[in-house]
Amino acid sequence: MANAAVGIDLGTSYSCVSVLERGSPRVLANVYGERTTASVVFFKDDGQIEVGNQAKANIIHHPVHTVSSAKRLIGRYFFSEEVKKARAIYAYDIREAPNHGVRIGIRDEEFSLPEISAMVIREVKQVAEAQLGQPVTQAVITVPAYFNDNQRQATKDAGKIAGVEVLRILNEPTAAALAYGFGRGINQRVAVYDLGGGTFDISILEIGKDVFEVLATCGDTFLGGDDLDDRVLDLLADEFVERHGINPRNDPHAFEKLKAAAEETKKGLSVEEEFCVQINDVMKNEAGEPLPLVRTIDRVEFARLVQDLIQRTFKVCDEALQQSDLTTRDLDGVILVGGPTRLPVIRQAVTDYFQQEPKADVDPDEVVAMGAAIHAASLVGQETAAESILLDVTPLDLRIGVVGGLAEPVIESNTPVPIEQSRRFTTARDDQESVAIRVYQGESRIASENELLGEFEFSGFTKGRRSEVEIDVAFEINVDGIVEVTASDPNTGEQASTSITLSSGLSEGDLDKILRSDRAARVGAVKTAPSASEDKQSLESVQAPPESTHATGKDLAEEDAIDLADIDLEEDILELAESQRDSWAEDENERSGPGLFDASVRDLSAPDDDPEEL
Amino acid sequence: MGDMTTAEIRALSKIIDELDYYKILRLQPSAGSAEIRQAYHANSRHFHPDARRRLDESLEAECTQISKRVTEAYCVLRDPRRRQAYDAKLLRKEGLRIQLAEARAAHQRDSVLVRQGRTAQGRDLYRKATEAMADENWPAALQNLQLALTFESDNTFFKNQLDSLRASHPSEA
Repeated sequence: MANAAVGIDLGTSYSCVSVLERGSPRVLANVYGERTTASVVFFKDDGQIEVGNQAKANIIHHPVHTVSSAKRLIGRYFFSEEVKKARAIYAYDIREAPNHGVRIGIRDEEFSLPEISAMVIREVKQVAEAQLGQPVTQAVITVPAYFNDNQRQATKDAGKIAGVEVLRILNEPTAAALAYGFGRGINQRVAVYDLGGGTFDISILEIGKDVFEVLATCGDTFLGGDDLDDRVLDLLADEFVERHGINPRNDPHAFEKLKAAAEETKKGLSVEEEFCVQINDVMKNEAGEPLPLVRTIDRVEFARLVQDLIQRTFKVCDEALQQSDLTTRDLDGVILVGGPTRLPVIRQAVTDYFQQEPKADVDPDEVVAMGAAIHAASLVGQETAAESILLDVTPLDLRIGVVGGLAEPVIESNTPVPIEQSRRFTTARDDQESVAIRVYQGESRIASENELLGEFEFSGFTKGRRSEVEIDVAFEINVDGIVEVTASDPNTGEQASTSITLSSGLSEGDLDKILRSDRAARVGAVKTAPSASEDKQSLESVQAPPESTHATGKDLAEEDAIDLADIDLEEDILELAESQRDSWAEDENERSGPGLFDASVRDLSAPDDDPEEL
Repeated sequence: MGDMTTAEIRALSKIIDELDYYKILRLQPSAGSAEIRQAYHANSRHFHPDARRRLDESLEAECTQISKRVTEAYCVLRDPRRRQAYDAKLLRKEGLRIQLAEARAAHQRDSVLVRQGRTAQGRDLYRKATEAMADENWPAALQNLQLALTFESDNTFFKNQLDSLRASHPSEA
């Protein structure tokens, strides 16, 4: 084989790369023999970029120019809770970009999150190339099962920027189950308990000889090993304040030292009964004297600190079991994934909850990359690879925005993919010329409480009286968990198709710009790298958006959300729609959409406003 | 199902809109849950994007289309409530597909109908029975429920109501 297809576990804290060799997955180590690479990027003064374990080791010296845990931010809006939290914790500069996006400011440059992740992908790609002695051009990249469309898209973009063809975006727990069940010829029902650095997933799967069916998946993208560290960090910081009367949280260097100590404590307690933090010089006082911190933490105290976080994971497990109509007694095995699951306090809690010992022959740090490698080989048809068919599900309800600020479910969570569903809607006003179609993911009927995946405008359909003009909207979720929406007029066949315009992260135009720019080489893409022909095509077909000629604020205020046609489905929603419609007649300018996105409506819809584009 | 030829897959994708979910999964209408799952797996081995390496690459669009319909069929048939709504739709000859959300809503609507009574007489008698229950007039409540059941003998909701009334007031019964 001239080019290798690898599996990449792109983790919050650490990343790992693996390849299938002679029918079994091998984890590829770097020149120092390290089998995982810290997902940390350090921007040096001279413009060089250093990625990995060395960058992590130096983080206390360069906290402002070192980006860690980028996965917590990828595909998120600037106003999201997670970004707010990250801005409080990390010393690097997290800025707002147009359309509520997020950028990392490093000196006089700005980087998008997919670019940061691309640097990590490039690093592990190079590790693989050095080990294999051949170029790596294709990869399966894993994501938490609970990642939404925005996060998946952004991760896929990161792969493209790093110059790899992303064969598949694969869910981490599914990858772990594949690695566990691969080639064993077993028939088992298992739970995969995946506590990563920043996310928690639980998946229930049925493993067969060649078919792996996900029965249910649930998760919490706000919960991970980092949160355990934060509890220890808080304890250490409070202790320091008590001892010296100075808050180390206000000093980035001191804070990084305590953060490193907290992580070490957590790791230490995986093997020892107690761990002693001993830092001679956390920071200096006004007189320039070093202020030390010495504190011993044992397993009992640590367990008390994190108990509620661990209990939160079991609430999610309850949900997954309920969704799959099973109890813990129906499970043949429990697989632990993610570094934090090495902690005895977690292993014990998991054993108690599932009433059985977790499988011991699975390496929680490497199993995901191994599964991804197995699947990559299967997808490219590598001869030594047995074919594996992964029947996965979508983790979240897919919804469409309707009048009244509501979001109607179209595809429920835990529906298998690929799937396509379509709904028929009617216009909300007489002679309406266009509709704004907003697509959400989340569990709430209130539109603004869900994640907005994007919106696009559909125009050119038949004009007529309100509620008499029909519009079909088709929703598709593919095997990457990525959403595509198509609107059409059932009478004329007129169609507007788009994979959703990203409201956060990168638009295809942005991505195109990065791939063409000089900085691509620095960021990760080798411009001459043979990328997939389909990728090239889709990128080349995207031109700069034409200047909008008639998208004024007024037009957009007038055109609006669409109305439900399938009346008897959701009568209460329709009632709301009706009353909303009445208030419209009185005040045409009143908008019903979530106020939060009003500003972005203009930005987003402008490029699509030209009917030629649709 | 054996291996399909390129021509067979093309043909299947062309006529997929004319097949009901049982035909898509190659199932008898009486198929049980284990058979439905087996059929889903068997079909996925052929059409799921993971399985394409054995296939002609020009068939990608066809296979994706079939695969999406296989998933949809599985989602409806494996869920007893959705399957019930779908079977009713097939019986009424109202189409071969049902949207997943529609199937759920149809079932909810049916169960509301069952609760209130499907026939005018049944609804009327059930209303009288509930009024009698509110007045604690147990003999009248029993009588009206029994009468309601003569119009809707298969209404399980009425039956359960009657059974619990008999159980709580054995002397009246």
